[in-house]
Amino acid sequence: MAIVKLLTEVTGSVWKIYLKPGDAVAAGDEVMIIESMKMEIPVIAEESGTLKEISVAEGDPVSEGQTVATLTT
Amino acid sequence: MAIEDILQDYEARRIKALAMGGPDRLAKRRAPGILNARERIDHLLDADSFIESGLFGTSSAAESDRDKTPADGKIAGYGRIDGREVAVVSNDFTVKGASSSATNGKKIGQMKRVATQRGLPMVFLGESSGARMPDTMGSRGMGVMLGNDPTQYRRMRETPWAAAVLGLCYGSSTWYTGYSDFAVMRKGAIMAVSSPQLVSMAIKEKVDPEEIGGWKLHSEVTGLVDQVVDSDEEALAAIKQFLSYLPAHHKEAPPVHAVPAGSGDGMRDIANVLPASRTQVYDVRKIIKAIADKDSVFELKPRFGKVVVTALARIGGRSVGILANNPLHKGGALDTDACEKATNFIVLCDSFNIPIVMLVDTPGFIIGLDAERRRAPGKIVNFMGALSLVTVPKLTVVLRKSYGQAYLNMGGGRNSDEFAAWPTAEISFMDPAFAAGIVHGLNPGDAGYDEAVMEMARGNSVWDIASMYAVQSVVLPADTRSYLIRMLEVHCMRLTNGVGEHLMRTWPTTF
Repeated sequence: MAIVKLLTEVTGSVWKIYLKPGDAVAAGDEVMIIESMKMEIPVIAEESGTLKEISVAEGDPVSEGQTVATLTT
Repeated sequence: MAIEDILQDYEARRIKALAMGGPDRLAKRRAPGILNARERIDHLLDADSFIESGLFGTSSAAESDRDKTPADGKIAGYGRIDGREVAVVSNDFTVKGASSSATNGKKIGQMKRVATQRGLPMVFLGESSGARMPDTMGSRGMGVMLGNDPTQYRRMRETPWAAAVLGLCYGSSTWYTGYSDFAVMRKGAIMAVSSPQLVSMAIKEKVDPEEIGGWKLHSEVTGLVDQVVDSDEEALAAIKQFLSYLPAHHKEAPPVHAVPAGSGDGMRDIANVLPASRTQVYDVRKIIKAIADKDSVFELKPRFGKVVVTALARIGGRSVGILANNPLHKGGALDTDACEKATNFIVLCDSFNIPIVMLVDTPGFIIGLDAERRRAPGKIVNFMGALSLVTVPKLTVVLRKSYGQAYLNMGGGRNSDEFAAWPTAEISFMDPAFAAGIVHGLNPGDAGYDEAVMEMARGNSVWDIASMYAVQSVVLPADTRSYLIRMLEVHCMRLTNGVGEHLMRTWPTTF
């Protein structure tokens, strides 16, 4: 079992969060959407697992490289 | 000595040279599935095509080392890949860690010289510990070992160079990987300037090998590696595939291949890849896959600068370099890593007569403090300067967004030989939402904001720019492949037999 951090690759704000802690996640799933440059940019899980924690809320500003969720794989 | 004795002596010496570092060292590699230096050559080259240069070379420094240095740790020679001659250097780590010596330095020099002068691609199979100690020590060691070949570090891209990082790579293997047009790395291999042991001694800190030179570092952070694979065999297959897109040298056009059955089958539904909303993202690799000949897409640096995709591919059997924005990452907004990646790719394609196809969907360059600190202005002008020096055909298709300076960097206007757009294209200086703020001082929620955005967006459709012939063709998505096949024929550089001017042949491989 490993803990995988999900990072936002852009600076922007959290627009929508699709999943909650405890949800099963498949590789390629969109966990949340960041709004940046007037675009909707998904945070995508690269591995399958269970969502352990969401560390931001909708509307929060985020910076490139920030951890926004963690996944247990 | 009788001729029989001479022949026996020859055979004994040959067997000894082929034995590399001995059965124990070779067995240790075999257990985890790592090929030895000669097996790598066998996997890379057409069967029975290898002719060795320097089989009987050994250390020339210490008499006592002569028997311990078969082929002096670097196996060199010529062979064929898919029927074409190449020159190859395969580092034999079982012989003194394939360390660099006076003799094996001459072998590398000979391979590079012949490859460059006779027009052969050059392949480096890297796994080396650095300069041989104590041969290099002292001023005598330095005088003998280093700086005696003024062309050792001169590269003008006369022929393609491909490198594989297949073990611990310090010194020589690292340098030649850095010089190469293509670098593939096996997971578990390490590439760095110096070994973690030496680094730890120098900075008094324990250094993790993967952290200082592992595959994640080089594929995601430095971008010095183009592909990562799981085995030696896959690395050698990647080198063969890379070379299949390239000419043997810069004075000929790339080889033309038969078009595989099923190519173009995905074109009918290609427009469906674009999302309904202009603010939503998609993976441009789906579009590239549909446009290119079946199974011909060979992506470079897929984990680095992901907002652009750089891929060698074939369209209608001809080699092309595809440079595409990928909205899936950062909405396609160009960052500094993407600028470096695009520049590197443009130089590669132009140096080896490979037409460039650009697929455009970008809201612009990423701006902000971080971008400026990462030298965004320098990166952007390097990218733009490279594109301006290209003499191979440049064909551009705008799929959706093309804004501001990024419009120019992605082939807008006369920065392409043919500038085309899908009817879904929107072209302007700035995204309408930002422009409404700049021009009218309005923000989302303000009275009149929505009307101002609509007003700004009205002139962004493709029809105005097509009416003044600043876009030459408006192409339906489903027709894009056939359009590009035809345009590659139109622009195939007949006057020079498909050979460009290579104005960037002295540019480096990293920026």
